[in-house]
Amino acid sequence: MSDSVSRRRFLAHTGAAVLVTGASATLGRPRPSWAAAAKVGEPAPGFTSTATSGSPVSLGSYKGKIVILEWTNHDCPYVRKHYETGNMQSLQREVTGQGVVWLTLISSSPGTQGHVTPAQADELTSTRKAAPTAVLLDEKGVVGRMYGATNTPHMYVVDKTGLLVYAGAIDDRPTTRRADVQGANNYVRAALEAVVAGQPVKTPVTRAYGCTVKYS
Amino acid sequence: MAIRLLAVSLHLCILSGIFLAGPALAVSPPRAKAPTGSTPKVSVALISESAAVEPGGMLWVGLRQRIAPGWHTYWLNPGDSGEPPTIEWALPPGWSAGPIVWPQPERLPVGPLMSYGYTNEVVLLTRLTAPADVQAGTSTALRGRASWLVCEKICIPEEADLALTLPVGGVKPATAATAPAIERARRAVPAPSPWPTSLRATADTVTVSVAAPRLAADRIADVWFFPSRWGVIDHAAPQAVTIDERGITLRTARGPLPAAAESGVDGVLVIRERLDQGTVSQAFEIRASTEGAAAGSRPPFALATAVGLALAGGLMLNLMPCVLPVLSVKAIALVGHAEAPTAVLRRHGLSYTGGVLASFGALAGALIVLRAGGAEIGWGFQLQSPLVVGGLAYVLFALALSLSGVLVIGSRLTGLGKGLASRPGYAGSFFAGALATVAATPCTAPFMGVAIGYALTQPPTTALLVFEALGLGLALPFLALSLIPGWRRRLPKPGPWMERLKQALAFPLYGSVAWLVWVVGRQVGPDGVALVLAGLLLIGFAAWIHHGTRAAAPRWRRAATTVALACVAVAIALAPLAASSPSSSAPSPTGARGEPFTPKRLAELRAQGTPVFVNFTAAWCITCLVNERVALHSPAVAEAFARKGVVYLEADWTRKSPEIAAVLQSFGRSGVPLYVVYGRTAVLAPRVLPQILSEGVIIEALEMI
Repeated sequence: MSDSVSRRRFLAHTGAAVLVTGASATLGRPRPSWAAAAKVGEPAPGFTSTATSGSPVSLGSYKGKIVILEWTNHDCPYVRKHYETGNMQSLQREVTGQGVVWLTLISSSPGTQGHVTPAQADELTSTRKAAPTAVLLDEKGVVGRMYGATNTPHMYVVDKTGLLVYAGAIDDRPTTRRADVQGANNYVRAALEAVVAGQPVKTPVTRAYGCTVKYS
Repeated sequence: MAIRLLAVSLHLCILSGIFLAGPALAVSPPRAKAPTGSTPKVSVALISESAAVEPGGMLWVGLRQRIAPGWHTYWLNPGDSGEPPTIEWALPPGWSAGPIVWPQPERLPVGPLMSYGYTNEVVLLTRLTAPADVQAGTSTALRGRASWLVCEKICIPEEADLALTLPVGGVKPATAATAPAIERARRAVPAPSPWPTSLRATADTVTVSVAAPRLAADRIADVWFFPSRWGVIDHAAPQAVTIDERGITLRTARGPLPAAAESGVDGVLVIRERLDQGTVSQAFEIRASTEGAAAGSRPPFALATAVGLALAGGLMLNLMPCVLPVLSVKAIALVGHAEAPTAVLRRHGLSYTGGVLASFGALAGALIVLRAGGAEIGWGFQLQSPLVVGGLAYVLFALALSLSGVLVIGSRLTGLGKGLASRPGYAGSFFAGALATVAATPCTAPFMGVAIGYALTQPPTTALLVFEALGLGLALPFLALSLIPGWRRRLPKPGPWMERLKQALAFPLYGSVAWLVWVVGRQVGPDGVALVLAGLLLIGFAAWIHHGTRAAAPRWRRAATTVALACVAVAIALAPLAASSPSSSAPSPTGARGEPFTPKRLAELRAQGTPVFVNFTAAWCITCLVNERVALHSPAVAEAFARKGVVYLEADWTRKSPEIAAVLQSFGRSGVPLYVVYGRTAVLAPRVLPQILSEGVIIEALEMI
């Protein structure tokens, strides 16, 4: 019996099938190519987005500075945990005081939770006493998809040479409990300290926790 | 295990439920607190499988979430966002709580992202253990606080205080209201995967291979792998699934956590299978390591490596207790004839090798042909037949007797003998080679598994090459001795030690015989063993009578030979009898394994008024496999079968059988699984059980008999 004959018989006997299973949403329209998204250890992808002032802001213009990216949605309970305890604002103040650039990004599409007008965004900054360098409105989700931002909050750290050195959660307490802010291990602060000291980031990738980014 | 215990207690509940009207369990649904002030999206209740607490006992409780339409809560790994529910227990002193046991999740696409969780209703099981000193007659309040995140487009964290007060006493029936929910949750918990699973990762992809051979691919509607940790795979990426004769291969995009895939992945594989009555979902807990236990998915190694391994394995075979005596006796014969002409010895060596290679070729050929016909058999397949095992026991026993000196089979078989240069001498060597092969089959040397595993996945010519390499390895020591005069000179001087060594070598053979008799015992039970032992006795007697009358007058010698031959004939006749002795008396290694189903056997049993349970199953039917694993083959069910005197028949439809197909059709089915319980009288129609079984369902059905 030749090989091909036996193999053919075998296939006829058992049958063979190929299925591609995916969410209908991901099959129906082109999904963001997360594979091409930003990768820790590689240069952070460049982007230009619009700040609440209406002026364009591009990552490339901050070369030579450490940049922090924060994805947010002010109504998300996880974001509220960090703003209502003052945790996020104090970190912003602390690091921008050291010359670090802090970009807050909002990728909620129009009509979804967290989507704001430039005026609303500025009002949120002032009422919450937040201290970002700029708030960028990414309502088409272009930058969010480029970076593979899945959650709010979702944090990224770019070092002075433009390398992405951290991506993930703000800390190690994935809850909405305000009490958990105290004593949590803040990954962003740890990454910054390592970068400033010229050392490798100990935990460069973590699971971001929070609400889904409300992409269109 | 936990599941089984759960089912056992569930069964007890059902039993006592027949006699006791269970008091309604007071479950006050706790108010969930929604921080936004809106109505909670999830209403929760703490439910129990049992209405009472047993001192020192174990109690399964469930956090039941009823989720508003369009909203979802999360699984252990929530996917791209979200948070799994938690329960903080505040139990009375001495109580302990296990971790949450998670039912299989659903995939919930959210835009370009993917969540893993639950919709509508879910029961998260937890096992509580009561201290031994809870006072009977009192009651116990079980309290805890559950927190969860519930999302639609937006997310709301909710929490609720849980409370459940249960009386302390014996095990009482579960409330009718909550038992089905616990039962459903139990069935939705992934079963341990019966298949070896391996993982391969590249820079961009992760491939999970599940060695589940012979799945009926056309019945599988959907396969999805849910990793239990974040970061290993891209949760939202499509999963390309291939189902072929080797099993399921699932390829998807790699997740963002560096090096996560290299350390392996565990998770849940959910397979949706089409059955006659619709689609069912089966979940399996899988643990895929990059080392990979699945032979089929390993990168195939080079033919040269396989041949090398086979050669080494063959060499190793020479040291096995069943082969060593055969080889040694040949070697001893060489010692006695070290001065014989080299050409003669060489011819003996080649004859022996020829015998080994020819019989290996024959065995491998049979194996390859049978496998091509669809039989799922491996090396040593011939030992699946008790007839072959019994026959092998006879042959090895006769050989052992000859080494002990009770029987002289003489020059032809074991030695080179006087007729060194005569043709029968060469035939004897050839036969000795064949005998060594036959004796070797039960002993699988360590290296052989890999080489044979490889050979059987290859085209026949390659497979044959590997098998012949194995044979060559087996023949090599003797061949070398016969071909290389220098080696022969190293052999010790002939002397009386040769006889003593020969006698000593009989014992490994007796040992092999004892093992083979044990195998027969596993296959056909004590009756078969008795018949094989009787056969061995007859062979021993025949040997003694033949040997004892060698010096007698020709008349006596002829009579003795007649008696001896008659004994051997009876012994041979006993073997098929042993092989067909009823297998129901065979001890089963893994719980209830039934005797094979035939319409005739079923008719017989029904005529006797014996209740019968028939399991129509197939090796490629996943649902059948799960049912057998979680329910049918459990000790509790085996005990119920025994207690009710039910005969368990297994109708294996793995290969086509018109007989079984006809019975299936009579129940309006075109496929398996089908479970039928026949009662004591033919008046009552047989009862068909659901396609998804639990111990409770089976035991309840058996109780009705």
